[in-house]
Amino acid sequence: MSMTEKKLTDDMFQPAAMDPGKHEEITKPSLTYWQDVWRRLKKNKAAITGLVAIILIVIMAFVGPAISSHGFDQQDVRRTNLPPKIPGLEKVHFLGMDGVDIRGNDQYKLKNIPKDQYYWFGTDSLGRDQWTRIWKGTQISLLIAFLAAAGDLIIGVTYGGISGFFGGKVDNIMQRFVEILYGIPNLVIIILFILIFEPGILSITLAIVITGWIGMSRLVRGQILKLKGQEFILASRTLGASNGRLIMKHLVPNTLGIVIISMTFSIPGAIFFEAFLSFIGLGIQPPTASLGALISDGFKQLRIYPHLAIYPSVVMCILMVSFNLIGDGLRDALDPKMRK
Amino acid sequence: MSRYLVKRVIYMLITLFIIAAFTFFLMKLLPGSPFRNQDKLTPQQVHALNEKYGLNDPVPVQFVHYMGKLVQGDLGLTFQFDGRTVTSMIKDGIGPSATLGVEAIIFGVIVGLILGVAAALKHNSAIDYGAMVFAVFGAAIPSFVFAGLLQYYIGVKLEWLPVAFWEGPKYHVLPALALSVGIIAQIARFMRNEMLDTLGQDYMITARAKGISKGRTIFVHAIRNSLIPIITILGPMVVNVITGSLVIENIFAIPGIGEQFVKSINVNDYPMIMGTTLFYSALLIFSMLIVDILYGVVDPRIRVAGGKSK
Repeated sequence: MSMTEKKLTDDMFQPAAMDPGKHEEITKPSLTYWQDVWRRLKKNKAAITGLVAIILIVIMAFVGPAISSHGFDQQDVRRTNLPPKIPGLEKVHFLGMDGVDIRGNDQYKLKNIPKDQYYWFGTDSLGRDQWTRIWKGTQISLLIAFLAAAGDLIIGVTYGGISGFFGGKVDNIMQRFVEILYGIPNLVIIILFILIFEPGILSITLAIVITGWIGMSRLVRGQILKLKGQEFILASRTLGASNGRLIMKHLVPNTLGIVIISMTFSIPGAIFFEAFLSFIGLGIQPPTASLGALISDGFKQLRIYPHLAIYPSVVMCILMVSFNLIGDGLRDALDPKMRK
Repeated sequence: MSRYLVKRVIYMLITLFIIAAFTFFLMKLLPGSPFRNQDKLTPQQVHALNEKYGLNDPVPVQFVHYMGKLVQGDLGLTFQFDGRTVTSMIKDGIGPSATLGVEAIIFGVIVGLILGVAAALKHNSAIDYGAMVFAVFGAAIPSFVFAGLLQYYIGVKLEWLPVAFWEGPKYHVLPALALSVGIIAQIARFMRNEMLDTLGQDYMITARAKGISKGRTIFVHAIRNSLIPIITILGPMVVNVITGSLVIENIFAIPGIGEQFVKSINVNDYPMIMGTTLFYSALLIFSMLIVDILYGVVDPRIRVAGGKSK
């Protein structure tokens, strides 16, 4: 119905009643800071893609090993170095998931594997199922990354918080100490640390935390120093709030934003360092796998069995890129002023 | 500035001393004997050998000796070859490592700058998005994954370039490329943001209003002013290149320090591990110092000294 057809007559309109009380009424529900952050984050397609990818990978890391019938350390010398073969996709030859190796031999036929046996991502040189190992490895890599990030968080926030809050002499001494530590390259500390202790999940995590917390503590200290001088802290103090209450209720929640951003970047950092250590022979020891260890093992046979390196590399790349995307998205969402 | 410099150098020395002390005591802690076939030696012979190498002295005395030798650049003998010093091994490795690192940095910086500038000039276009997608991936994905991909697709499948080794200019392309991806990504991203900032400045409009050609405003005003903050990411970049080269050299079998380092870890050559670790620490700390000094030189507004300097 268009405007020209319908005549607008005066009796269709009524004067609206003036209600002074409603002038100031807020019609929209007010958003909390975190609702606002979530609203901004949702608009960022890249960050949401990253978030979904990470959730999928985390789910797969736990479900993946269970849906395959092969154990991650189950060796079978009759089934070594099988190329990937996935039901359904095996008919699409160019995908490389038809059980044919790079020379064009159907390894599954050559090795007399029953028709209904599938190794989705192939097998490694000891006949272990690569699918199971990749997801197990993802579990280990994620575990190290989250533990390292949690360690950074606890030590970094405590140290930076104390240093920033008390200031003065305490701050001075604590910062001199950090300055010396900061000068020591983390690469060196991590390697020396792993040399002393046997490479394992805990020692690798500790090695990463030992250097990782410094960056976090500096950020938190800077933020707390900035916040400490603001009026709301003074007001709260005037009202008799204790130091503990000031820290827990006012300062820490206000530093949460940068802490979260810093964590989303320290997680891929930890994944990288774990992989890096595997590459130089100081990583997770077999039969346990991590993404880094799998990639490093795969590279040794890259020429003949590329699938061994490619699949773990893909999983790791998706993880790294996703965490970075979320980190970028969160930085924009938590602090819109910093957006470029 | 000079006061700041002195302070920084003192910190640098303290840091190096801590690392050196740490490595020394670590070497004492590690199991094993420096002498081959110790079981076949008589206690007198072992004692004589210990005496010769000063291992009978109390640990603090040994520490002083070690530090004394360290200052002279003597890092001890490697276990891998008879009679070769760690120092000479490191000297042999510097050439390829430095070449690779410099090539990667030069290539990475140039390509990164071009990408960043192009992305900023064509803001919100396909070039911009393409460059930024590349930057996100390049910064997130570790260089050794790129190394593997390049090796497999360009070296093995297409056979355009040699897969590994270090025997001529052709052999430099793939490792340098793999190492430079991270640099390109970092620089492109940073340059784009800086350029966008600069392009929005009032003096850009003033320059145009004065009748300066668009090309000139971009080259003389925009790019030059955006370049300054790039220095701030040089520090992390150098660290990245050094860390990355450890693995890249190993993947491409380049006889540099990184490869020696990884090999020495795998064969438990402790003096070599310690020597290379110390070398890397010194290198990293020194390059951080240079970068920090550069900040102040390039942009007088950045006052690292915190106050009155010149």
